[in-house]
Amino acid sequence: MKNEKYINSIHRWGRWGSFGAIAFMVGIPIVACLIFDCFPSMKLVLQSGSGLLAMFIPIAISEVISYAPVLGSSAYITFITGNVMNLKLPVAINAIELAEVEQSTDAGDAITTVAISASSILTMAIIALGVILLVPLQPVLTLPAVKTATTYMLPALFGGLILGIFSGAAGKYVIKGKLLAVIPAVVIVAIMLALGVPLSTYQGFAIVGMIPVTILAAWIMYKKGIIKVEERAIKKS
Amino acid sequence: MTPMAMTFWDVADSSLLYILVIIGLLYVAFLAGVFLRKAWGHCLELGIPNTTVKKVIASSCTFSIVPSLSIVIGLFSLAAVIGTPWAWFRLSVVGAVSYELMAADMVGQAMGYSALTQLRGEPAQVMGAVMIVMSIGIIGGIVTNALFCKKIQTSMASFNEKQGGWGALFSGCFMMAMMSVMMPLQVYNPTADYGRYGHFNLVGTLTLITSAVISLLVTMIAKKTGAKWLNNFVLAIALILGMVAAVMWSAVFPA
Repeated sequence: MKNEKYINSIHRWGRWGSFGAIAFMVGIPIVACLIFDCFPSMKLVLQSGSGLLAMFIPIAISEVISYAPVLGSSAYITFITGNVMNLKLPVAINAIELAEVEQSTDAGDAITTVAISASSILTMAIIALGVILLVPLQPVLTLPAVKTATTYMLPALFGGLILGIFSGAAGKYVIKGKLLAVIPAVVIVAIMLALGVPLSTYQGFAIVGMIPVTILAAWIMYKKGIIKVEERAIKKS
Repeated sequence: MTPMAMTFWDVADSSLLYILVIIGLLYVAFLAGVFLRKAWGHCLELGIPNTTVKKVIASSCTFSIVPSLSIVIGLFSLAAVIGTPWAWFRLSVVGAVSYELMAADMVGQAMGYSALTQLRGEPAQVMGAVMIVMSIGIIGGIVTNALFCKKIQTSMASFNEKQGGWGALFSGCFMMAMMSVMMPLQVYNPTADYGRYGHFNLVGTLTLITSAVISLLVTMIAKKTGAKWLNNFVLAIALILGMVAAVMWSAVFPA
């Protein structure tokens, strides 16, 4: 009952909070245009905005399908603050592993929300500091070595995440052979890349396509006993 | 200055825009604070020890520093095109540098400008269009999530609960599917050019391997020495040392 109360409350905050964020996102330009008397022509907005909408609405839908099952109620803050792949998802994976809880459970959802909210506040504070220190910081952060390092941030990040994702620990369960479930999807992706399919442009769609492939492979391997799921004692750390 | 004489940059760098942006960002920070407080309280209700919650917060914040600094680097390039306040807002709320530059470019092209830097001296209406188009183009994810998140989360949780072991494996499939696309892309990307290596990202691959080895080593050291606190920083250490390794690999294998 306590749980239902929490779920209803967090989703109510999330839903209304999201619409509030949209109001600010759209409201700030409108207020600025009203005060500065600089409303653009509808033709210009439609001409440039329709292309973006056509491109980003399907991507947005595919991202929600892919990320919301992993993020749970923290998806609200995640979609409002952005930087999903390079910040929020790693934070979520790390939190689940550290707290030794299971994804898509009440505990997993709450701990992920704690981690992502804290991370979002810190990121906003760092960006604000970046704005204040814009002039002194710029020469340091635009050094060639720093540029190279940030270019390779994603591989460095995914390398650090491999252990957590494929470790097999899932709250009260241990999944043996979990890595095998991903092989068919990796083979398909590798073939598509070798054929020159521009997957980096359509990551969201590619992930949506690989979800049923991975689930099907996991189901078959689970049923055939190739992947085993066993209960373990949860350490209360 | 009369409104008629205002330029793109007068609006982009105005105090008013700073004020509006700060109000918007305070709202988002407040919302994140509410989520943090509620979820923290719920963790304790569920019996998760407070020390574990604090450990998760410390680890999440430590890890977030470096990716946040990379956003600040993006801020420099975006601020040069659309001014500091709006770049600050966009990169704190949903946006990414690539998307924002693409949106600004689309507006510029619709008006017949080939370079984004040409926008500075243009009429203020262009900045109005840039801000409106950027905002409208990106809200799809927030709207879709606001409408369907509860349904997705509660369905996943109830499926997981009913299915037991298979439920745990099923939940993990979403993350694995994501990685099945993202990991190979770090190795080979047909839309990227890595100089003499063609589409093969040699430095990226070596960085990925180095980072994985580092995280394995740190985990092993934590286990062998009993330094459990080290586990809280595995991801942050792997990320920073992985990026340092990337600089070295780039020097050894230049593109």
